Amino acid sequence: MLRSFNIDKLHAKLISKPTLFKALSYIDKQIIQTPFLLIDTEKMKEKISLIGENIRNSKVFYALKANPDVAIADFVSKQNIGFEIASEGELKILSSLGIKPAKIISSNPVKSIKFLEMAADYGVKCFSYDSTDEVEKIAKYAPRSNVYVRLSVPNEGSEWPLSKKFGVELDDAVRLLSYAKQKALNPIGVTFHVGSQCQNPYNWNIAIDKAKILWDMAEREGMKLSLLNIGGGYPINYTKGTISIDIIESNINKLILEKFPEDIEIYIEPGRSIVGDAGILVSTVIGKAKRYDEDWLYIDVGIFNGLMESLGGIRYSYIVENNKSKNKRWTMAGPSCDSFDVIDRNITLPEPDIGCLILILSSGAYTVSYASEFNGFSIPKNILI
Amino acid sequence: MIRFFEKEPYSPIEYTYEVEKVLYKGKSQCQEILVIENPYFGKILILDGIVQLTERDEFFYHEMLTHVVMHAHPDPKRIVVIGGGDGGVVREVLKHGTVEKVYLVELDEEVINISKRFFPTLSSKVDDPKVEINIMDGADFIKKVSPSIDVIIVDSTDIIGFARSLFTEDFFYSVMKALKQDGMFVTHSESLHFHLDIVIEVQKILKKAFPLVDLYSVPIATYPGNWWAFSIGSKKLNPRDIRRPFEIKTRYYDDEIHRQAFLPHKLYRKLMDKKLIW
Repeated sequence: MLRSFNIDKLHAKLISKPTLFKALSYIDKQIIQTPFLLIDTEKMKEKISLIGENIRNSKVFYALKANPDVAIADFVSKQNIGFEIASEGELKILSSLGIKPAKIISSNPVKSIKFLEMAADYGVKCFSYDSTDEVEKIAKYAPRSNVYVRLSVPNEGSEWPLSKKFGVELDDAVRLLSYAKQKALNPIGVTFHVGSQCQNPYNWNIAIDKAKILWDMAEREGMKLSLLNIGGGYPINYTKGTISIDIIESNINKLILEKFPEDIEIYIEPGRSIVGDAGILVSTVIGKAKRYDEDWLYIDVGIFNGLMESLGGIRYSYIVENNKSKNKRWTMAGPSCDSFDVIDRNITLPEPDIGCLILILSSGAYTVSYASEFNGFSIPKNILI
Repeated sequence: MIRFFEKEPYSPIEYTYEVEKVLYKGKSQCQEILVIENPYFGKILILDGIVQLTERDEFFYHEMLTHVVMHAHPDPKRIVVIGGGDGGVVREVLKHGTVEKVYLVELDEEVINISKRFFPTLSSKVDDPKVEINIMDGADFIKKVSPSIDVIIVDSTDIIGFARSLFTEDFFYSVMKALKQDGMFVTHSESLHFHLDIVIEVQKILKKAFPLVDLYSVPIATYPGNWWAFSIGSKKLNPRDIRRPFEIKTRYYDDEIHRQAFLPHKLYRKLMDKKLIW
């Protein structure tokens, strides 16, 4: 008798029937040690074909940090898009796959010298920056590169804000563009990041307005820019529907057409929106406990070995292997001995038996790439289905 | 008034039925079984919250699932019906004089019992001497059966429930092996309106195992999405062709319907290429 799962309308909104069928069929056939991460390649393909579709003259670069699995990177490269990377480690993955340097950019504003040397040696030509020190480093270790300056923009409404660590204001940005030129680099444009899992479409409006001001300031300084890199930030569905990519992109495209020259080139750096909702973490219930009036559920994946983003407020949806028991409110925790290892509170799920599986939806991005083996609990392997 | 709300998470329309009477409510080893009486549809069989058949319109489904392959096959003698514990497909199969043996392979014996009790017009033929009932997983049965079968018919519950083993590549390969040279296989494959992605998926998996794969449909009032698809895998013969005279008694199926039921080639391509966007 096959395992049976409790699937409701919410799940149907988050995961397509074929994806669920493929995942369950995989589980029926073989269970390697849980936890593991199933990645539906069809879903990735569908997302890749969607992203950039509504933005004129755009190129897409997969932000490898979202999930740097070699098989995923290989699959992505076959869909004819590029990669955005930040480190030697990520470059090694791409070089092992023979990815052409023209397909690689780095939008990490602060890069290590070793990475710059390796990237320049490999032939990577496109880098972001937001400081004079970075200009000097790039000029020295990757001379004559194309560079784009990172503007700071508001990140309100994104679940994983990024702007405080990186980005500069307009005056500094234009000075940095001039300085890059002075150092014999080729300042080609501007970038920003509205924050990951951005639910607020107006962040792009504000960011694009700001980029336009910089664009004109640069022109007055005698620099003709050609690239607008809009970073990532496209949201995916975790527990409810979110604004769709074509709506976000139509808005972005309209703004760009209004404000920028016709031959402008647009780069997009999606990570989460390519691999996130293609992923299903498969975990096992390892324990249950009643503590005062709270019911606790312990599973073999937690904050440290995959669900780190729970700490930042990402909430997942779960499909429980079921025995048709009644719904209960749970506090869900990971397997480690650390008291930080709590994934979610006040979630309503049917009560599973110990040993039952719990599928965690939309978990393909920023899960295994963040994971550690803290306390000896294994990092889920990616399995492409 | 009591109402029954169908629980099909992948249906964007929630179907509800007026309940005149609850005739049976129980739990088998596999699923929840419910039989209700509705003023329009008569008795309705519901498994795990999803309508499987109604007395009034079941013939559209059972005739179309059965007779297309039975007429495309030149001489169907040995038949396997997987699922179909209600007996509807067996009843239709036995209308064909060529048939010598029917293996009815049902996982849930309770469905057969309930059908005998509440749906005698469907289950009328399950005790026929030509019928051998096997209570087991259809995928296991097909792996073991000697390769002598002419037609295999899958009449199962939802593809993401426990019937999912009947839609895998492995299963289709064992079906292929169990069939004779000119054998044919047919399975229901959900709605072209609401589950088009699943229809495409089933077609794709079938194509891994079978040289000839096709799709036909019938409108069914009581299945979510209504435009219901059936997927065929054939070893050699084109299932669009009729190879035996149409001589049986039916209410909906006939030789003309057989030809019309298949998707026009252009529409088929469009669907498979995901170009029918709405």
